[in-house]
Amino acid sequence: MNKTERQLTYAEALREALFEEMRRSDEVIVIGIDVGVWGNLYGVTRGLLEEFGESRIKDTPISEAAFTGCGIGAALLGMRVVIEIMYIDLIPLAMDQIVNHAAKLSYLTAGKAKVPLVIRTQGGVGLQNAALHSQSFESWFVNVPGLVVVMPSTPYDAKGLLKSAIRDDRPVMFIEHKKLYRTKGPVPEEEYLVPLGKCSLKRKGGDITIVATSWMVGKTLEAAEILSKEGIEAEVIDPCTLATLDTESIVDSVRKTGKCVVVHEAPKTGGWGGEVASVIMEQAFDSLDAPVVRIAGMDVQVPYGKETELQVVPDAEKIVKEVKKLVS
Amino acid sequence: MKKQQLLEIYRKMVEIRKFDKVCIDLTHQGIMWAGFHSYEGQEAVAVGVLSHLDADDYVLSSHRAQGHALAKGSDPGKVLAEMIGRLGGVGRGRGGPMTFSDWGNHFITTTTVGSGVPIATGIGLALQTRKKQGVVISIFGDGAANTGACHEGINLGSVWRLPMVFVCENNLYGEAFPFSKSTAAEHISDRAKGYGIEGVTVDGNDVLAVFEVVGRFIEKARNGGGPSLLEAITYRIRGHYEGDPENYRTRQEVDAWRKKCPIARLRKYLLEVASHTEEELLAIDQEAENTIQKAKEWSLKQPIPTLDQMIDDERITAR
Repeated sequence: MNKTERQLTYAEALREALFEEMRRSDEVIVIGIDVGVWGNLYGVTRGLLEEFGESRIKDTPISEAAFTGCGIGAALLGMRVVIEIMYIDLIPLAMDQIVNHAAKLSYLTAGKAKVPLVIRTQGGVGLQNAALHSQSFESWFVNVPGLVVVMPSTPYDAKGLLKSAIRDDRPVMFIEHKKLYRTKGPVPEEEYLVPLGKCSLKRKGGDITIVATSWMVGKTLEAAEILSKEGIEAEVIDPCTLATLDTESIVDSVRKTGKCVVVHEAPKTGGWGGEVASVIMEQAFDSLDAPVVRIAGMDVQVPYGKETELQVVPDAEKIVKEVKKLVS
Repeated sequence: MKKQQLLEIYRKMVEIRKFDKVCIDLTHQGIMWAGFHSYEGQEAVAVGVLSHLDADDYVLSSHRAQGHALAKGSDPGKVLAEMIGRLGGVGRGRGGPMTFSDWGNHFITTTTVGSGVPIATGIGLALQTRKKQGVVISIFGDGAANTGACHEGINLGSVWRLPMVFVCENNLYGEAFPFSKSTAAEHISDRAKGYGIEGVTVDGNDVLAVFEVVGRFIEKARNGGGPSLLEAITYRIRGHYEGDPENYRTRQEVDAWRKKCPIARLRKYLLEVASHTEEELLAIDQEAENTIQKAKEWSLKQPIPTLDQMIDDERITAR
């Protein structure tokens, strides 16, 4: 195995990004519940306290509005702040700070102030965390001008995107997935960045374009292998950044394949997949051989249960079934 | 307090009052489109608190921010231009009267009530982490005092001993709702005990009393003693906004408070105790009038931005 094939978990890759960026600049600080001594639920911030100390790794009281606002304030003074909100389900507690202040202060000061803030959080089903700890809220933030929304699906992307997010002067919602933390993938030893606002091509194919995010990228690649055995070659695109979306890469792919499905875990109604479908209709209607189809979470509360929670979100089988309807 | 400082405090209070009057007129003329909230009657709080600040200090304000901004030293012309939505404003006319910030003067306003308190803690954290001398003043109203954000923010600032002063400017009304109905505690400052910090209530129409207590709190904050909570009791002479029907209070109540005008009170002190002359004060009144008239004339000459000027650089910086 050569150097570039070093395998890290998604959690380890994120952790490495934090270590590297904190070593690179004293201005990078981490704020959140149990990010210090405990080191995050999945170990993402483990070891940071020992190396960087209490002045840069801030364990906070359970008060999401306060420490999110605190992150905004420190960012206004030029610190590069990484906030951690333990579950995306807890973000409503900090929503005012994110939507009304993080996303507005640069605008309202006519660019004199910047808010270099990264809000790391994690969503999704898969660990039987039930209705209040398993949701997918990414679409909310896509609808707020002034926020960058990032959802990495692999260890490589997670590390490179987090580093880019920390160096960016804009507030970034950095949405991880609880089922991905233990997944492994290649992460080079040498430093690299993954740019914000660019799609990542996960698989080449000419028969259909599948746009998928986060945990659903893996499910989609699984589906693509099954489809390949039946002679259908899917092109799999992970947008990585949902806002601002790299529409060009998606539209280019659809022009080639003529068909598109969008896969995400969030409930279908009002979900981000509708946005992708609209963009394709507006920009590549002529190239479409079939309607754009959304394969998304059911419009229900996430059930508590090993089997039932998985039934409300897409999986490889559902993706294969929908794609075959379109291609045959 | 030095003689000159006392006169500067008087001048600033008069300027803020005159500025307020200009804003009221511009609102009635339709030049200030909407959202003006008068500061009349509360000048002693802004000036008593913010006269202590240096350029390296920060303020998080909320509604009625014009009084705070001027007291912090913002240019009245640029603030007024902002409030009437002109390109020459402190935020290129984007904030309007309700949500303007003057970052060049380290002055931020947020007007989802209570939200500024957590942001102020972050500025305090940055100052603490970088071992800077500056302090942050978080000014909020009695309405904000009952929000979760305000509570969470004061707790965070207290537990981290940040260089801050929390100032509750209690004007006895949150919009149309009286303090007596919103708050069971006698004083907001009573809550300080629950945060493990010092809390004091002062007569917010007595600028000297406000100045003295805040001076001590700021010294403490600068010397690593952590935050304190000041409650300054004052009164909002005009409605919540221009055009408020004010059906929730009596004329008598307002008139009684008019008699407690903080500027008249300081004037009396300057004449009777500090041995200043009527001529001296009239000269300051005239200078303040000139300053504010000049600010008004300048602001009215500033162009109204086009949509592109409103959003073009934002497209680059935000998306």
